[in-house]
Amino acid sequence: MPEAIGVAQRRLEGGDKVSGRTAYVADVRVPNALHAELVSSPYAHARVVSIDRTAAEAMPGVVAVLTADEIGSLGLLAKGEVFYAGQPVAVVVADDRRLAADAAQVVRVRYERLPAVVDPVAALREDAPAVLPAELRSQRADAGAHGADAAQHAASQRANVCGEAHFARGDVEQGLRLADVVVEARYRIPALYQGYLEPHGTVAVPEGDRLTVYTTTQGQFAVREEVCQATGLPEHRVKVVGMQVGGGFGAKFVKLEPLCAALALRLRQPVRLVLSRSGDFLTSRPGNFAEIGVRLGARRDGTLTALAADLLLDAGAQEDGTVGIAAMLIGSTYRVPHLLVDGYEVLTHKTPSGAYRAPGAPQAYYALESAMDELARKLGQDPFELRLRSACQQGDPRANGAPWPRIGLVETLEAARNHPFWRERSRQADEGYGVAAGGWPGGTEPAAAACRINGDGSITVQVGSVDITGTNTVFAQMAAQVFGVRADAVAVSAADTDAAPYSGSSGGSKITFTVGNAVLQAAQDARQQVLEMAAQELEASASDLDMAEGRVFVRGAPSRAVSVADLARSTTAFGGSAAPLVGRGRVAIKRASPGFAVHVARVRVDRRTGEVQPIGYLAVQDVGRALNPMAVAGQIRGGVSQSLGRALGEAMRWGDSGQLLTGSFLDYAVPRAADVPPIEVELVEVPAEEGPFGAKGVGEPPAVPGAAAIANAVADATGVRVRDLPLRPETVLAALAGETS
Amino acid sequence: MKPAAFGYLTPRTREEAIEVLSRYAGDAKVLAGGQSLVPLLNFRLTSFRYLVDINRIPDLDYIRSEQGYLAIGALARHRSVEQSAEAARECPLLPEALQFVGHPVIRQRGTVCGSIAHADPSAELPALLTALGGSVVLEGSSGRRVADAEEYFLGYLMTAQQPDELLVEARFPKLPNGSGFAFEELARRHGDFAIVGVACAALPDGSVRLGVCGANSVPFRPLKAETAAAQGDLQEAGRLAAADSDPDSDLHATAEYRRAMVSKLVERAVRHALERKEGNARG
Repeated sequence: MPEAIGVAQRRLEGGDKVSGRTAYVADVRVPNALHAELVSSPYAHARVVSIDRTAAEAMPGVVAVLTADEIGSLGLLAKGEVFYAGQPVAVVVADDRRLAADAAQVVRVRYERLPAVVDPVAALREDAPAVLPAELRSQRADAGAHGADAAQHAASQRANVCGEAHFARGDVEQGLRLADVVVEARYRIPALYQGYLEPHGTVAVPEGDRLTVYTTTQGQFAVREEVCQATGLPEHRVKVVGMQVGGGFGAKFVKLEPLCAALALRLRQPVRLVLSRSGDFLTSRPGNFAEIGVRLGARRDGTLTALAADLLLDAGAQEDGTVGIAAMLIGSTYRVPHLLVDGYEVLTHKTPSGAYRAPGAPQAYYALESAMDELARKLGQDPFELRLRSACQQGDPRANGAPWPRIGLVETLEAARNHPFWRERSRQADEGYGVAAGGWPGGTEPAAAACRINGDGSITVQVGSVDITGTNTVFAQMAAQVFGVRADAVAVSAADTDAAPYSGSSGGSKITFTVGNAVLQAAQDARQQVLEMAAQELEASASDLDMAEGRVFVRGAPSRAVSVADLARSTTAFGGSAAPLVGRGRVAIKRASPGFAVHVARVRVDRRTGEVQPIGYLAVQDVGRALNPMAVAGQIRGGVSQSLGRALGEAMRWGDSGQLLTGSFLDYAVPRAADVPPIEVELVEVPAEEGPFGAKGVGEPPAVPGAAAIANAVADATGVRVRDLPLRPETVLAALAGETS
Repeated sequence: MKPAAFGYLTPRTREEAIEVLSRYAGDAKVLAGGQSLVPLLNFRLTSFRYLVDINRIPDLDYIRSEQGYLAIGALARHRSVEQSAEAARECPLLPEALQFVGHPVIRQRGTVCGSIAHADPSAELPALLTALGGSVVLEGSSGRRVADAEEYFLGYLMTAQQPDELLVEARFPKLPNGSGFAFEELARRHGDFAIVGVACAALPDGSVRLGVCGANSVPFRPLKAETAAAQGDLQEAGRLAAADSDPDSDLHATAEYRRAMVSKLVERAVRHALERKEGNARG
């Protein structure tokens, strides 16, 4: 019987993608579609005095110029007041895309500029003006704020705090007094654009009393829910077609869809809204800027005595909630008797922050793992030894006191330490190695799946999840494993929201973990149905039967056999006697599967220019079970590449009055192929109890430790610590010259 | 977004091109490889009523060895020059500098003359043309003229080219046998606009020529640095070149850093060029 699980399997959709045959949302062609273009505010904070649409409306082919006054804000349009530069204040709809762009340029908006609060540190001050009026503030986004002494903190008095998280254990000041060595440092990590290849886009098509929305999203059911809330349509009258996604990384949940849907319904015509790259940057939902202060104390032997961390995350002009994850992770990775974590998230007049691959985790681990490295240097200890002494294991308390389930942090650290990349390291002049760990708690969400046996015995799996990372390929492998066939004997249909069983969004590293379990259950259910049919046919007990390569046979007597195709045919024939074979899987897994990664970076630093060149990299990760090792390694290499950008070049930057300065890929520097060194990947498999075949979510952990690994390598190479990312040549050179740090 | 609407003209001869350029003076822009112009149009940072696409004009796509210089026609692509045997033989600094111009796909389409006419102060080729004392040939309604690099580049994206003139040829002086040369550049990533770039030629007569980009509103020759370099004082050459630069701060580097990098890169380029010259002499 061929093994389908644990075998490198090319992505089912990969050939179409690399050969340019894949249709993305911008390729959707609908007859009579109108084209929408956004009119954006140049100011970060302003009152909209008037909007003169006459010139735009007079252009032949312009169908409408609409504002929030007519159609509501829809999560995007400013209503009377603008809260970030780039916020749309009106939308032009025209027959043609270029015409819409031309018309958008002649919509005359008069603004009364208001003071903009751009700097998150300034926004936190008690005397800071409120960024948002009270009516735009929802419930406090304090998902992580369940620390023991949250009530002691009166930060809610501050106008712009929109989320907080507090965790405490023991007496941190006492713990610091017990320390022989204390590291005290502040780290800054900039806001980051997710850098997906495909900008946001949506096409909404009204059809009778129904609406179809084609879109690029990580979660089509989430889009349906928000479109229905925005338009008042019930969920069964809205069909969302999740297209192939050209990169999401957390940025593609719901953005343009409610607006596009509302336009289509109002104008009773299909509307297409596809952003340019510049438009995408202006309305992007970047990963949060964070400033994190750490005080970390240890005994001479490396035993940690205390960890105090204060976190400030910039939410931009909308409440967010990432601080809870960041605060939780920073206080949950190492055993420490005295802990104090205070996290705040503040509003500013900038584009609202969103999720970027493991939201909050790269920020938290950049600070924590840099501080651990500084501590190791002060103690003169091996970075692995220091970490292994305190690394959390099953049963150790997290920041909130709840015990960790079984995790693979220790195993991952050990695997990295034993890898030749580290063991046989050799350092030329101006080269250094940096070690960092990082983790992600994982996610859960209910999911369902179906598995059908077609009339010819072939297998079709139906899911509602959007495949952004190769999950459909893994589902095919799972069903193939259950039926004892090759993965290419299974089709996976990721259907639209009308046809597909429910699935959560593809975010939080949970699709294989949750939908995968539903697929597994559905395949096993279908297999049982086949076995029961075969039992009648072979006059044997179903429990004595086995299945492989399209045949069911009696165990121990393989000549007593029947083909799955013959059985299936009788379920689809006119006058047939057997009910169709449809397996069903439905799960609501309650416990997530946290995943840890340990990265080792090797860099070379040019002391004359400050340039940092990564020249080697090792990424080790606990993946539970690598269902498709090729896809897992690909995920890891992608995460590492993004971390290199985070460490060395990427930063969303705004001017003093809140204008976005990095509004294109010209100014926002993502790493390119030539900037990425060879990456060695090592997989550790500590099975997840509830994961299918033991698998864990693997998408987010590889994006977490990289920035600290690079910064630690630079410190190793130069003896100089730069704590503000990115490590641009100029910053590094200044540090080398002793001007900073 | 995509560009604002424009008229698209496709002259078949130089005369026709010059005719439409003078007819629509100021409202028309020459399109050759489009690697700088088209992004500016697409970002709507600029717009023109007419684009004059010169790609259908014959006899502009050439690389010719002339008396004392290498002549590059207006339609010669970066990539052709980069791979040209003549260029490698007569002016090897040119293909070396071209490695730093964008990426292969950009060089496949972009033209040497277009890069010069665009006059971006951070661009490599204008600095090289300046370092070598090259020139450009301009044809307009009042005839044909040759402009030296130093009089051609006037400021940020500004040249002495008149609206009715077409840049038909760039002339790169040949490097005599026994020369050493180097192009050094600091950019955020390979292929990005240079933060600072330095072209250097060490000539058999002992003189050194330098051209610097990214450190002034025009590419420039640091003359005092050239003298110091010729005397073998590399550090002093770097210091003098830095003193002669007048960079601006921007998103990617402060003026101070740019100036410091002029010093380091001049030093590095001169050292590299002298080493090569030495190697050539021995070889």
